[in-house]
Amino acid sequence: MKRFRWQNIYLALVFLVLYIPIFYLIFYSFSQGHNMNHFSGFTWAHYQELFQDQRMIEIVLDTLLVALLSSLLATIIGLLGALVIHRVKKPMWKNTLLSLNNILMVSPDVIIGASFLIFFTFLGFKLGFGSVLLSHIAFSIPIVVLMVLPKLNEMNTSLVDAARDLGATQPQVFSRVVLPYIAPGIFAGFFMAFTYSLDDFAVTFFVTGNGFETLAVEIYARARQGISLEINALSALMFLFSLVLVAGYYVLNQYNSSKKGRKRRMEANHNR
Amino acid sequence: MAEPIITFQHVYKRYDDTVALGDIDFELEQGKFYTLLGPSGCGKTTILRILAGFTEASEGKVTFKGQQINRVPANQRQINTVFQDYALFPHLNVFDNVAFGLTLKRTPKKDIKRRVLEALKSVRLAGYEDREISELSGGQQQRVAIARAIVNEPQVLLLDEPLSALDAKLRTAMQVELRQLQRRLGITFLFVTHDQGEALAMSDEIFVMSDGKILQQGSPVDIYDEPINHFVADFIGESNIVKGRMVADYQVQFVGKQFECSDAGIPAHEPIEVVLRPEDLVLTDVAKGKLTVVVDTQVFRGNLYEILSHDADGNQWLIHAVHKAKVGQEVGIYFEPEDIHVMRFGESEEEFDARLEQYEGDD
Repeated sequence: MKRFRWQNIYLALVFLVLYIPIFYLIFYSFSQGHNMNHFSGFTWAHYQELFQDQRMIEIVLDTLLVALLSSLLATIIGLLGALVIHRVKKPMWKNTLLSLNNILMVSPDVIIGASFLIFFTFLGFKLGFGSVLLSHIAFSIPIVVLMVLPKLNEMNTSLVDAARDLGATQPQVFSRVVLPYIAPGIFAGFFMAFTYSLDDFAVTFFVTGNGFETLAVEIYARARQGISLEINALSALMFLFSLVLVAGYYVLNQYNSSKKGRKRRMEANHNR
Repeated sequence: MAEPIITFQHVYKRYDDTVALGDIDFELEQGKFYTLLGPSGCGKTTILRILAGFTEASEGKVTFKGQQINRVPANQRQINTVFQDYALFPHLNVFDNVAFGLTLKRTPKKDIKRRVLEALKSVRLAGYEDREISELSGGQQQRVAIARAIVNEPQVLLLDEPLSALDAKLRTAMQVELRQLQRRLGITFLFVTHDQGEALAMSDEIFVMSDGKILQQGSPVDIYDEPINHFVADFIGESNIVKGRMVADYQVQFVGKQFECSDAGIPAHEPIEVVLRPEDLVLTDVAKGKLTVVVDTQVFRGNLYEILSHDADGNQWLIHAVHKAKVGQEVGIYFEPEDIHVMRFGESEEEFDARLEQYEGDD
């Protein structure tokens, strides 16, 4: 029993250390002062300021748009990529493709960002929304591949045989058997890509030109000019937003896993 | 004889350098229960996969109702399969799993419902249609897999070791059920197994396979009583196999003695092998026995005693006896002439059949 309690204390400490800076930031978003040296009374002023900041709202919307579009497109491309890699029979080719995919995952964002910048300027591509979107799609694809591939590997090939045996054409096999089976992997890949895009700083910093900003880049720019408590308010809202996302994901999972059980119970009651 | 529903004509299957199937040649008749029996890796599943359309034969002709179907894709064949791991779709419930084939054919909803419920009823799963696959036991999943296949009213049902994942008691029950189902539906079953007991219990006809070849084809009784060679005799049931020599027609010599037997048509002095089934050997006094052996071990199996013994030449003899013996005791073994089955070395099935016909015609 005693050892168990020590474990709990350790866990609590770790989480405390991780979360204190965030809560510190949020705490001061309600402070009347203009710095984080001491708390000088409660106010919503920074939030009001934030919501009147037209530029900031635009940037938030742009960031969400880039995240949504890039993760959507990356999911489609990544899914196709995973299907192709899965189909490769020769182990050597398969491993080569997988390694190429993984290298993109582990290589530093700075290098990816710099290389994209060189690439875009070489092609004469105008930096801005397009270049940010393209680079976000590019670094999201390996994530999707990595989330979908295990699902494909896990799927028994006899499921495909069975579907064909029962009369399914190749497209029907895909839409009725393969796709539903790997759907959890696709959703996970989409969410991962979405969050990666939302909080990417390094790559975006390189490829964004004048006139287009994402949240991370903007916060960085403002923080350099000296922290404004508006940033604290924004951080608090973003923290809340991610809390809602996590909670939503959790609820969705719970719903999915209990749906079957609940359906059964309802049937049983109905039959009684 | 009715027109065969399926034929394999000189079918070969090669993977790179290895030959999975060599010159497979057989015919299946409408409405019979066939079994492909052999150890794992003998090519029996490959035959099934060629028939279902999952792989193509490298050479040879496969026909269905007289039509060559080598290149007909799996989804256009009137053949359905029950897979070893059942291959039920985990995202669909029992009803939707069974209805899968029918919905693809755009069958009207009302017909689908009626036929699915009928199919579930015929595998004794009525009332399970709303269950999820993960909620079912192995035996129930197995029956869903069968229902999913038979609901499409196939002409031929292929079963790939469908009972191997079940426990012994359920397996025996399912054997009886499958056999009854086949009789009721009147369609051709091709069952693949490595379990000789299963094959003997269910089949009209058994194909014994080894190393990509069919060694012997026949009814369970034929194959059990008259195995063509050492492999078949050893694989089907338990047996005592000793080397011997043909003396003349109906006279065979082994373990240094001459015995009367029921085999003929073999040249005199040809070396042969003799099979004696353990249940045909009767324990008796040394004086009355045709052979004298010493009991080595004795295991009680419930319905019989399994006695392992050896003779003066060191040959092992397995005996299934109703009464027990004493370990170390000298006993006699008695058997009838027809209990002896003589096997020639390297005799093909055609030669074997021809010889059988020839000397049985003499009687």
